[in-house]
Order: sequence, then C-alpha cells, then structure tokens
Amino acid sequence: MFKIIANREVGPKIFQLVLNYDQLPQQPKPGHFFNIKVSQNGSDDPLLRRPFSIFDFDAAEKTVEFIYRVVGKGTKILSRLENGTELDVLGPLGNPFSLNKNKGKTHLIGGGMGIAPLYYLAKKLKSSNQIIYLGAANKAELEFFEEKFKGLGVECHLAAMEEKLEIKGSALVLWLNYLQKNTPDYVYTCGPEKMLAAVEKEALKNNIGGELSVEKRMGCGIGVCLSCSCETREEGQKNKRACVEGPVFGLGEVILSA
Amino acid sequence: MPKEKGERISEKMIKSDLNLAVVMKSQKFQQNNLTLKNPLITASGTCGNGKELADFFDINQLGAFTTKGITVEAQSGNKTPRIAETASGIINSIGLENPGVDSFISDVLPETKKYTLPILANISGYSKEDFVTLAEKLKTREELAGVEINLSCPNIKGGGMTFGTDPEKVFEITKKVREIYSGYIIVKLTPNITDITETALAAEEAGADAVAMINTLSAMKIDIDQQKPLLANTSGGLSGPAVRPVAVKMVYQTYKKLNIPILGLGGVRSGSDVIEFMLAGATAVGIGTVNMIDPTAGPRIIKEITEYMLKHQIKDLNSIIGKAH
Repeated sequence: MFKIIANREVGPKIFQLVLNYDQLPQQPKPGHFFNIKVSQNGSDDPLLRRPFSIFDFDAAEKTVEFIYRVVGKGTKILSRLENGTELDVLGPLGNPFSLNKNKGKTHLIGGGMGIAPLYYLAKKLKSSNQIIYLGAANKAELEFFEEKFKGLGVECHLAAMEEKLEIKGSALVLWLNYLQKNTPDYVYTCGPEKMLAAVEKEALKNNIGGELSVEKRMGCGIGVCLSCSCETREEGQKNKRACVEGPVFGLGEVILSA
Repeated sequence: MPKEKGERISEKMIKSDLNLAVVMKSQKFQQNNLTLKNPLITASGTCGNGKELADFFDINQLGAFTTKGITVEAQSGNKTPRIAETASGIINSIGLENPGVDSFISDVLPETKKYTLPILANISGYSKEDFVTLAEKLKTREELAGVEINLSCPNIKGGGMTFGTDPEKVFEITKKVREIYSGYIIVKLTPNITDITETALAAEEAGADAVAMINTLSAMKIDIDQQKPLLANTSGGLSGPAVRPVAVKMVYQTYKKLNIPILGLGGVRSGSDVIEFMLAGATAVGIGTVNMIDPTAGPRIIKEITEYMLKHQIKDLNSIIGKAH
C-alpha cells in the first residue's frame, strides 16, 4: 500500500509526488519506474496506469518520490489527489541505470521532464566527477530541479528555450558547447527522443559510452502487451520492450527516431 | 447431496463443496474435453507467455492459459504508438509481434512445461496455407491442450479479420486445421460483422470444439493537437470494459444457435463480469485487458466468483451457463 504524503506544484504544471510505502518487492534503483493507477474508487476511466520514473528514494523514511507534469486526463486527476490518499502502485519496474562500473568522467543530460530520473542517479553516483546539463522551456520549469541538483554539490549547467540562462537553447546545445573542451567518458541522458538520438550520435562518434532512458507510450508496464516495443539493430528485427528491457538502454541498443 | 427446493445450503458445506470447474466439451473426441478448474482463461496477447504474470502469482490457479498469437514467420509488429486510451477502454494495434512458430516451439513451449494448467496456442495467418503450416508444426506438441485459431485480428493486412468476416473462409480454414490437428480447437471470432452467429455456426460445422468471442472492435482515435490518427497504424482494436456489453450480447445471441461451448470475452474485470458472461451462455470466460492493469486480477476474480456462488447458493458453476435465457 502506498499513501500520498505530499503532492504539490513545484513549477508551472509540474508536481512533486511523495509516497509512503509499507514494503517494496525490491529496493528501487535510478532509472526504475513505478506504474500508478490514478483512477479512484474502482473507476475504469482512465483505464491504464501511468508510468513515472523514480525521482528520489529514501529507505529510512520509506518514501518514493516522483516529479510529473500535468499533460492529460491521468496526470490531471493525479494532481488533484490529496495527502493521505491511498494509491495502487506497481513497482519498481523496468531496467535501471547501471551504477557499478567505474565510468570516469560522467555527464548527465536531461531535457524537460526527462530531468526527473537523473536526480536519483546523480545522488547515487556520488561522484564529484559528474557534470549535469539540464534544459527546459523556461527558468520557472528549472527552478525546482536546479535547487535539488545544486543541493548535491555537483556542477550544474542550465539552458532554456524561451529565455537566456547560460544559453538560450536546449540541453543538447548546451552540452555540445562543452563537449569538445570537456569530453566525458560516459553519458546518461533522458528527455525527448530527438534529443536522445542526437546525444547518442554525438557520443558514439566520440567513442563515449553511455545509457539513455526512453519515454514510450506504455500499456501494461510489465511486458505483456508489447505496446512499447522499440526496434533494435539486431538481426531478425528483434524488438525490445521499453517496460522490461528498458526504459534504460545502452547507447545504440534501440533505434531512436531522430 | 440432494438439496430440497428452498433449502439454504450452509456456508460451511458450500466452502468444501463449491464446484468452479467447467468442462469445455469437444465436438468429436470425448477424450479431448477440456476440464478447467475454473472458467478463467487468459486472453491471447495480454499475458505474454506466462512468465510475466507468474512474477505476480501462481498462474496454475487459472482455468487455462492462451499464449501470445504466433504466425509462421517472425513478425516485428506495427510502428509505435501502438496503444491509445479511450473512455473505459484501450485501442491497440500491436500487429502480432511474435518470434514465429519455430522459435515458439523451441523457446516458448518448453518453458510452459513447468505449469500444470492447460496451455492453448493462439495461431494467426495471412493465408490458408499459413494455418495448415501452423497446425502441422503444432500437431504433435504435447505441451498444448489445444489451439485458438485467430480469425479476427484487426491489426494485420490480409488474413486475420478479413477471414473472420467471411463464414465460408471461417469454415474452410477451420476444416483444414481440424483435418490436421487432433487437439482442442477454438475459433476466435471478430465482432466486426453484421451477424456473428453466422461465423460461429460455420466454425461449428467445420469441426471446431468451441468458439471464442469477441476479439477487439475496430476503432480509432485522432490526436486533435497533431490533427492526425494517434496510432501509427491509423486504427486498431478496442478492448476493455467499454466493449463488454457488446460481447455479452453476442454471446447471448450465439448461445441460442450453437451446440459447442463458447469462450466469452471482452472487458471482463471482475467476478460479476464473469458471471454475466456465463449467464449469457459462456462456458469459459477470457480475461485480457484487465491483466495489463492489474496483474493479479485472475486470483481476485476467482475469489469474487466464489463470493457470488456463496451469496446465491450456487454449488456448481455449470448450473448458471445460459441461465439468463
């Protein structure tokens, strides 16, 4: 059983959801997602659960935290739920980011709500050898994230599309500006698919390893419905499921739409 | 124990005596009768091949398991988006993504040996010859209790639903498979037709042991911001609670005309829904979309059926089949 202990707006239409849990089948890792049923009191509408990547986790407090943007019916319902509401939640699900190998100089590149899964990752990497590049539409969308990442004491660069921060542009452009003078050994990225494709292309060209987390329209989140299939370059046109083999894939593992 | 009319069976007696088992009779071979410990059968394509749901509960608690639809050759499926949400329903256009029958035989079937419940393989084809090939390849597979011939997939070009809307084609393909395959044969029918009883009767006449109804309803959703169809495949098949009344009516209508058992499915999400299908005339009931939302729906629904039986003093679930007529 999960219970809402906070559900507040931390940016324009951006909400922070903190859930308290009794028990979890396994300890969540950065990149894992949870599938939340937002319809209440046995309603069929909306029918499907909503997948959210984990933003933060606290084993001592027994909390999992998510950041979401209100975009449709499901997130609108979710945003109106009050503290104390019990939620039907499945998770942690999916394939998380890998943390075990020594990856050297690491860059984390996040665009829009793709920033959310990178926070718990940055926290777990614990390395002073990481640099964060974040981009969103405007400053207001970034304020909450900026404060959180800076709280980790890591180097953090910000860009916005609508106004000039460090630059006026995307997280991708921001990162590319730094890439030549400060080439990383490894990248982690999450955001719009076009951004992922561009980061992947640039990284592979420069022999940089890395991982990306895709956002796909999911049905079940447990691997049965094949709604979130991603094409791969493997022989025989083998597909991989974003919900089981992903959402975190190695660079080049699945075909992204550029 | 004989029961006097009007006598209330004590709760204790019911709990030890409740019979949830149903028999899916075989038309030709009595030894093929499919006895299910309860009427729940997983609907193809909503439960993977067992492992995914087995992570959540012991799937042997179910009546039977239907595997994800297979074709002769591997299929990579349709482009994404493949799923759209509608009021109390979903529209999917997966496009039969599957590894092909040979890989199914070498990789999937051996894995099913660890389960004790009957396993049904859902088979799809683009031509009559495809069904012949599939029947030939599966005819000696002892892991299988039977096959479900999918003549109703709305998401593939050629084959699928185009066969399922033509009673003659339904007859022809079912008969071909019947000649080759001696296990239990279920023919899965499409609701996208004027009169589903015609295709149901064609399947029966050709030797099918049972019919499954309904597959998904042809449907689409338009993204009003993009001003284009939301699904990459333009349209897909609607499932979920939204379709249940349509499915119940079709089962009801077919039960009167058909002699073979009906596997009723469409939007089942509770014990009450299973009872509704059985009262309409279904011997067994499929659970599909609900598994995608609630992976432990199976055991919950079984419990709810038991509660209904207790409430209505029903000792044997078979006694309610077709009772609404």
